[in-house]
Amino acid sequence: MSAYNPPTQTGGATSHTQPTISVSDTARSVEYTCGDCDAAVSLKRGEPIRCRSCGHRVLYKQRTNRMVQFEAR
Amino acid sequence: MAGKKDPPKPRPKPAPRGARTKAAQALAKDDLEQQPEKSVRGAAESASASAQPSPESTRRRKPPPPHGKDEFSALLEPFYYGKALHDPINTAEDKWNLLPAFLKVKGLVKQHIDSYNHFVDVDLRQIIKSNRFVRSDFDPKFLLEYTDIRVLSPNRHDEDDLDHHKSNITPNECRLRDMTYAAPIVVDIVYTRGNTKVKRTGIKIGRMPIMLRSNKCVLAGKNDREMAFMEECPLDPGGYFITRGQEKVILVQEQLNKNRVIVESAKGIMQASVTSSTHERRTKTYVIQKKGLMFLRHNTLSEEVPIAFVLKALGVHSDKEILLMVAGEDSAYQDNFAVNFEACGREGVHTQEKALEYIGHRVRLSKKPLGTSRMRNYHLEAIECLSNVVLPHVPVEGINFRPKALYVALMARRVLMAMQDPKLVDDRDYVGNKRLELAGQMLSLLFEDHFKRFNHDFKLSIDKVLKKQNRAQEFDAFSHFSVHKNHITLGVERAIATGNWSLKRFKMDRAGVTHVLSRLSYISAIGMMTRISSQFEKTRKVSGPRALQPSQFGMLCTSDTPEGEACGLVKNLALMTHITTHDDEDPIRKIVFLLGAEDICLQTGEEIHAEGVYSVCLNGTPLALTDFPKRFLNTFRKLRRMGRISEFTSIHINHDYNEVHIATDEGRICRPMIVVENTHSKVTSRYLKALRKGTMDFEDFLHRGLVEYLDVNEENDTNIALTEHEINQHTTHLEIAPLTILGAVAGLIPYPHHNQSPRNTYQCAMGKQAIGAIAYNQLARIDTLLYLMVYPQKPMVKTRTIELIKYDKLPAGQNATVAVMSYSGYDIEDALVLNKASCDRGFGRCQVFKKTSTPLKTYANGTSDRINAGALVKTDPKHNAIGTDGIAQVGARLSQGDAFLLKAFPVDTTTRAGANTYKSQPASYKLPDPSYVDKVCITENEAGTTLIKILTRQTRRPELGDKFSSRHGQKGVVGLISPQEDMPFNDQGITPDIIMNPHGFPSRMTVGKMLELLSGKAGVLNGTLEYGTAFGGSKAEDMSDLLVKHGFSYSGKDYLTSGITGESLQFYVFFGPIFYQKLKHMVQDKMHSRARGPRAILTRQPTEGRARDGGLRLGEMERDCLIAYGASQLLLERLMISSDAHKVDVCEKCGQMGSMGYCKMCESEANIRHLTMPYAAKLLIQELGSMNIKVAIGLEDEFPRGDAEARRR
Repeated sequence: MSAYNPPTQTGGATSHTQPTISVSDTARSVEYTCGDCDAAVSLKRGEPIRCRSCGHRVLYKQRTNRMVQFEAR
Repeated sequence: MAGKKDPPKPRPKPAPRGARTKAAQALAKDDLEQQPEKSVRGAAESASASAQPSPESTRRRKPPPPHGKDEFSALLEPFYYGKALHDPINTAEDKWNLLPAFLKVKGLVKQHIDSYNHFVDVDLRQIIKSNRFVRSDFDPKFLLEYTDIRVLSPNRHDEDDLDHHKSNITPNECRLRDMTYAAPIVVDIVYTRGNTKVKRTGIKIGRMPIMLRSNKCVLAGKNDREMAFMEECPLDPGGYFITRGQEKVILVQEQLNKNRVIVESAKGIMQASVTSSTHERRTKTYVIQKKGLMFLRHNTLSEEVPIAFVLKALGVHSDKEILLMVAGEDSAYQDNFAVNFEACGREGVHTQEKALEYIGHRVRLSKKPLGTSRMRNYHLEAIECLSNVVLPHVPVEGINFRPKALYVALMARRVLMAMQDPKLVDDRDYVGNKRLELAGQMLSLLFEDHFKRFNHDFKLSIDKVLKKQNRAQEFDAFSHFSVHKNHITLGVERAIATGNWSLKRFKMDRAGVTHVLSRLSYISAIGMMTRISSQFEKTRKVSGPRALQPSQFGMLCTSDTPEGEACGLVKNLALMTHITTHDDEDPIRKIVFLLGAEDICLQTGEEIHAEGVYSVCLNGTPLALTDFPKRFLNTFRKLRRMGRISEFTSIHINHDYNEVHIATDEGRICRPMIVVENTHSKVTSRYLKALRKGTMDFEDFLHRGLVEYLDVNEENDTNIALTEHEINQHTTHLEIAPLTILGAVAGLIPYPHHNQSPRNTYQCAMGKQAIGAIAYNQLARIDTLLYLMVYPQKPMVKTRTIELIKYDKLPAGQNATVAVMSYSGYDIEDALVLNKASCDRGFGRCQVFKKTSTPLKTYANGTSDRINAGALVKTDPKHNAIGTDGIAQVGARLSQGDAFLLKAFPVDTTTRAGANTYKSQPASYKLPDPSYVDKVCITENEAGTTLIKILTRQTRRPELGDKFSSRHGQKGVVGLISPQEDMPFNDQGITPDIIMNPHGFPSRMTVGKMLELLSGKAGVLNGTLEYGTAFGGSKAEDMSDLLVKHGFSYSGKDYLTSGITGESLQFYVFFGPIFYQKLKHMVQDKMHSRARGPRAILTRQPTEGRARDGGLRLGEMERDCLIAYGASQLLLERLMISSDAHKVDVCEKCGQMGSMGYCKMCESEANIRHLTMPYAAKLLIQELGSMNIKVAIGLEDEFPRGDAEARRR
């Protein structure tokens, strides 16, 4: 059982931008959550790992917005 | 009423010289004199009054009231463990209430924390004091003096330079960021700059790792709420360090007594030895008896020196004086000792002068004399050696060698006495002769070493400047001061992180001092904090150190020790033990003299050894004489109970040696006991009521002299009643609670007193492997490996210990309904049958978290590893889990082979070439069973390196082969998971969760398990949690009554119906709840098979172990079976063909291996034969060849043609 794949490729992926490989990855930023104040922090590559509001240095990646299916047993 | 307390003690060993009656008389005289109690108290009062000038050093201040409500307050009010405030108090039963009060003040791992606090607050200052000056070799005017040292509150490394900055660092941040939880150490200094003195305060000299929950820790004095805010578990015991993100414990080390005389006999040689330990030195001195003569032996003396010479050199001039000092007036001793004076005549040593010369000739020089061979001054060398090197713990003030002479005489006397009466040989395994070394002491050794090196480095660097005569500008030594601060920081951190304690000064080089705190379960962490490791070698086959010592009672847990090689060497502390820290000797010395004892240095040998005279020893060193030892002891105790002396001071009388011993040293094991006076316990219901109300705490009990600490030696001198009704006129103390003879881990077992003792030991090992809740912050942690139970339950049958250590808040197990019966045959040999429906409902379900940590390294040329999100291929199924940032998505599923991190590393890491190329190296998931990404944490460590920690999660339900265990050392694996329909059921339709085979009981004799079932069942029916406390607990009779009341059989047996046939079972079944633990050994982690697979490079044999997809070994013993059976073809197939078969070309003529059908030695192809042999054999031949050993292979036809033809004919 692999993670649930939406029947149409677009269904799951349209929600967020899908830059192709050609786009330089430096421009892309990813949202993280601060481990201390829970604020959203978007980081680009090479940026120091630090929360903008509280200065905490432990960030967590946000949960995927893809669908995940579990086998209940 | 001190007189009444003196029991006419049967003296265990007769005094050797008929002094018994006299001594008894002396004692009786004591008693008479003590009758007027008032006079004693008066003396005590006056002594205490005059001891007032130094109350700070002796009296403990009451700790400030805790901030707000802590967790215990919930227990204290309005109920105290199920008792309301207004419930009647029965002192006999409720005296155990002191136990929670003790743990409230002391905590579970108070030993570690106390020791660390003592180190930070007291020891550091002492170290500074003894190393306070730094001078220069070149400038006599230069002087740097340390005036004070402090450890500030913990902060991050990069905040070190900020002033007036309050750090908000938390221990959990250090764990997550792989940092060291440390605080700056600052000193105040005064030094000379030019002609002025400069004072500087708060100079940082390094960073000190902070023990969690010590008084420097940010968690100190925080309540539950504040702890939760810092993501820290309030139940976590603390007492460990966090270095480089790892939790490290400095285990308690067990050692032989320091600075005490130990008499041993080995191979007919009697010897008294002392390991002296001072700040400067650690040496061992012996007085040995060899062939009737007595010698002093020491490492710095090139040969053994006759004892008479030593005493002469120490200023005891006449032979008669020496004789009296050692042997007293006892004629037997005198006869034995008199021989030693013959040496004086032989060597012509009659004066101190001569004796010093004799010894001086035998002093080994530690340093070679500089340059020219100067004349040695033997007298001075001998004096130097005797005063500083031999027995350095006995101080020589000025030229007063008397104390040292007395000490040597004392050692000699011990040997003499032991020769007369072999019973006086000391027992090395006696707990009173042991000391426990804790984190504080270990750190203090380490810090002193590094601090000395720091000063040395500083001195060298200023000397470099001061050497130059004329300098351009005024020299400020401060500029050289902070240069070396990294040495202390790194040195201490490295020692804790690696566990290698290497101190050049004491030639100490210990490995494995620290361990990673085991976080398998809450219990395993607590168990680790109370563990004591011994310095004995594990290989020696001596049973002494491993055996259970009677003196261990109440101090060390009697059940908790590992099985196997470390059995009995690794011990655990009992629940109420406390380990003392060092107390100041001076106030005690003053009090000893105030109590009427006379200075021993002013006495002659005759007076010292007179009958009925007892010498008072302070930490093993004779200090004074008293004629009334019992009175002295009682007054001293009285003072201690009044709180005039530290409560950890111990005093006891040794009647064998006529000595009163007072101990203030560190590392003694002690425990609190209720004081009994006049056959009445001093703790009355009034006090217990106050305790319950919260107006009194344990410290108050101590200060009022209701409770006192006794160490092992003092405990030996008392009569302790176990329960209140056992008190008689001889009783001096009352046990607080008998359950405290067990430790925290053994305390989990219900009804342990009904079990066969090895079963309790087994449970102690297994309790640490049980999966359960670990801490309240378990989900905020990212551990390398973490097992959590999904639905842990608190046990139906609790113990007091469980409540005290709060195992019921972080339990590891579930209450399973157990039917003790045979079922299906899949339950033989301790296998269990599980109910499938129970597993569906979550029984035994657990989660396994695994961490992969990836640091993005930076290389020398400025390049660094990076996450290459560009390498993401949307169509690649292996990249399914990866998000747009090149890291796995949280929540995504990882199957075998899936990538979870698209890392790339630079190809060129050395040169500074412009555009660097990166090679991608995606990290992929290795395990066969899939996991989900639970957490992705991106952070930076102190060095600024980016860390990516990915936590994966698996949820596992029980499967065939998973290991379960009850709390009675009864482990078993799942043999069958049976559908609920097939399980037997009772008349209420209840099916068991587990079916256990009854054969598990008779040989194991775990009656406690049966009682647990009975009490558990009664508790379920009654809606209560029952107790299975050691030496107490709910009574089987009451439980039976409860069962009967609810319509069940008193015996706990039920009538069941078979689920398979529908027939009634022909027998009643013992049926009820038992707390079952799921152990960490799970089939999924062990299951392994292989047909073909990887091979080792060197031997070409299959690899070993599951992690490397290894083969299953056909070992030596299996091979033996095949040989015995004659299965030669199978043998050949297993050992060669399926392993490392290798074709070689062997030259028949020379026996060497050739290649490609050609023999290089013979330079021919004529005699080449092809044969198959194990590659390992070929390798061996070649390896031997490389060692210049020629191996020739002789070939021979197994079935020669001639033979075959002959047979045919």
